[in-house]
Amino acid sequence: MAGSTATADSQGWRAELADVGRAVAGGMLFGVPLLYTMEVWWIGSFSEPLRTLAALALSFIPVYLLVRISGFRNESDEGVLDGIMDTVETVALGIATAAVMLVVLRELSATTPPAEALGKIVYEATPFSIGIALAQAFLRKGRGGDGEAKGRGDLEATMADVGATLVGAMFVAFNIAPTDEIPMLSAVMGPYWLLVVMAASLVISYVVVFEAGFSNEEQRHSQTGVLQHPITETVASYLIALLAALAMLWFFQRLGGLPWDATLEQVVVLGLPAAVGGAAGRLAI
Amino acid sequence: MTPTKSKRSRRERTSAEWVTFGISLFVLAVVVALIGVQALAGEDPPAPVVRREGEIRRENGKWFVPVTLKNHGDATAENVQVTASLTKGDDVVEADQSVDFLSGGETEELEFVFDEDPEEGELEVRVAGYQLP
Repeated sequence: MAGSTATADSQGWRAELADVGRAVAGGMLFGVPLLYTMEVWWIGSFSEPLRTLAALALSFIPVYLLVRISGFRNESDEGVLDGIMDTVETVALGIATAAVMLVVLRELSATTPPAEALGKIVYEATPFSIGIALAQAFLRKGRGGDGEAKGRGDLEATMADVGATLVGAMFVAFNIAPTDEIPMLSAVMGPYWLLVVMAASLVISYVVVFEAGFSNEEQRHSQTGVLQHPITETVASYLIALLAALAMLWFFQRLGGLPWDATLEQVVVLGLPAAVGGAAGRLAI
Repeated sequence: MTPTKSKRSRRERTSAEWVTFGISLFVLAVVVALIGVQALAGEDPPAPVVRREGEIRRENGKWFVPVTLKNHGDATAENVQVTASLTKGDDVVEADQSVDFLSGGETEELEFVFDEDPEEGELEVRVAGYQLP
């Protein structure tokens, strides 16, 4: 691709290659666990074309939000259009990386029926795209938002917390959502244990953010914002984690034909890792 | 966290970035178009069919019978049950196995094992049933 050998890199090939390299590395960090999860191949192969298309379209939303926070380029995006262009690149790179890795692992071959191949690529590409969108945050020390933490208004601080909780929840729970362990764990729950799991989720999430002495803890105690009282923040973040869990289960088509109580059980079971991830996410910002 | 250098703000896109964007747009368009074609083509229900194919092997006093299972439909069949029954006079020996996952158009090779020579009796292989995902 980079046939140009311009010594001064006047056309930006070298910088671009570095950006794309960083993108692929970020994609791998987030995407590889789901590459080794057979449930995702299966979802990819039985997913109906329109559903696959909807999943692809839906993946643009978190990718766009993450691109605005991080992205894979060494430059921050100025406007909505730039963000959309970077989102297109991120999703396409995710698709290309996932496709190559599926071939390497022999999950895609010349004999794979096209419908199955497309489904597998689209579903496997989503975690890769998310990883690519976070590449800058993963792989470089500098982050665009760091200097802006002070002097934010209440609303901004709250939105930043919601965003961090969502990113963290997805980071931890996305790899767990498609697995059969969720229905297996839910099957033995029953209402009282469900309450125990909810209590455990809340306590763990509270301890991670406010008690464990991790970095930023003092800053968390002193922050202002609508969600900033420790108890309200913990409860509100748990609700966000549950919503994220529901969305992820829907995305991986785990909810088809389930009655509402079984759905609730699975959401609560997946809500625990999502809450832990959300707590870690709030510490990280 | 020590203050670190933040990202440079965006200047004009370089030609290299435009090339990346062009290729990306093309990749996405191709994927969306291919899925669209499939959506329009519709989907036949799963139709797994099993056939005797290949040489029967004999090893250590057992007979190994290869069969091919192919899903002729477009949709995926889960938990496909394949049975083989060997009839010799009044004796019927049955063997069965299940395939977890057979997507549309996919082919799987299976082998059944019998204690007696299948060619001396009548061997029938069939799909007993499957689950819709």
